[in-house]
Amino acid sequence: MVLIAILIGCILGAIIGTNAPIISYTYSSYLAIAIIAALDSVFGGISSVIKKNFDLKIFISGFFGNAILAILLTILGQKLNVDIYLAAIVVFVWRMFTNLGIIRRYYVEKWTDKLKAIKKNRNKTNENNENVS
Amino acid sequence: MTNKKIISIVLGLMCFALTLGICIQIKTVKESNSTVSQNYEENNLRAEVLKYKERYDNKIKEIENIDKELEAQISQATEKNSDLEDAQNQIQQGNKIIGTTEVKGPGVIITLSDSKLDPKTVLNPSDLLLHDIDVLSVINELKNTGAEAISINDQRVVTTTSIKCGGAIININGERVGAPFTIKAIGLPENLANLDRPQGYLDMLREKYQIGAELKKSNDITIPKYSGVINFKYAKTVDK
Repeated sequence: MVLIAILIGCILGAIIGTNAPIISYTYSSYLAIAIIAALDSVFGGISSVIKKNFDLKIFISGFFGNAILAILLTILGQKLNVDIYLAAIVVFVWRMFTNLGIIRRYYVEKWTDKLKAIKKNRNKTNENNENVS
Repeated sequence: MTNKKIISIVLGLMCFALTLGICIQIKTVKESNSTVSQNYEENNLRAEVLKYKERYDNKIKEIENIDKELEAQISQATEKNSDLEDAQNQIQQGNKIIGTTEVKGPGVIITLSDSKLDPKTVLNPSDLLLHDIDVLSVINELKNTGAEAISINDQRVVTTTSIKCGGAIININGERVGAPFTIKAIGLPENLANLDRPQGYLDMLREKYQIGAELKKSNDITIPKYSGVINFKYAKTVDK
């Protein structure tokens, strides 16, 4: 059910996004930083699901809060003539990589465990067969 | 169960927002055709130029709105006075002739584009490109066949228009215009279509170096107005 909702959301977003009017170039940098922040929240959410401490409220507030905060920081940086958005990108991408690392480790460990179990089973059945013969 | 429903709806909405944002961003970047370069300075300059262009376009829109307002005010002011109405009609007629109003009517659309031949196969690669003289000749022939209004890539040809070479582009009305050129002309389409005769200028362009030259008749052509200002400082009217 969750997967179906995600798929529908993605497809709808892609369809509407490709038909939507383009935004002006001035605001595209803000949108870019918001996208990075949102992506970071999504990966954070997946890794928290794996760690089994997923909280929907925290996830939603992180998704929108991070995006809005990143946009505000970018605007502030432009007003002060400091490229704050670079710092935001570094932090978000760094966190994305750590979260991706957690996700990767979890799945690799899961699969190696599964492979080991399969091998054990096979050995057992082989032994059984040998015993029978 | 309800909890799961809420989670799935929220996640769906989030994915929707995310993909929407990504798609719009990709489209915007593509539209402004800013290829991201490794050079930081270059990127900044490009962004700056795009921002200024946007501001320029916004200002032009503002000017158009103000013009419309002015026209509305004028028509309101002259509504009740027949003398003023005559004067207004005269002004409109004059504007049409000197090219400061948008006009539409039947005519032809000529498309000129650079040759697709490989530049290595000819002696002088410059022959494969369209030059200011080509555009000028076409405009001249159009005028000869009775064109009443002409535009090149949406630049209106008026009395003060100059067409001159500017390197890889052509300067028309002081604006930079590049190939391919779309020349629109209003007039009797049958007359204007004579430009496409054998041994005519378009035919010559096509035959010699396979420069793209197409002529299309159309019953509904809109030619934009001249956006600059025509200012006569030295020419004075002679009192009789």
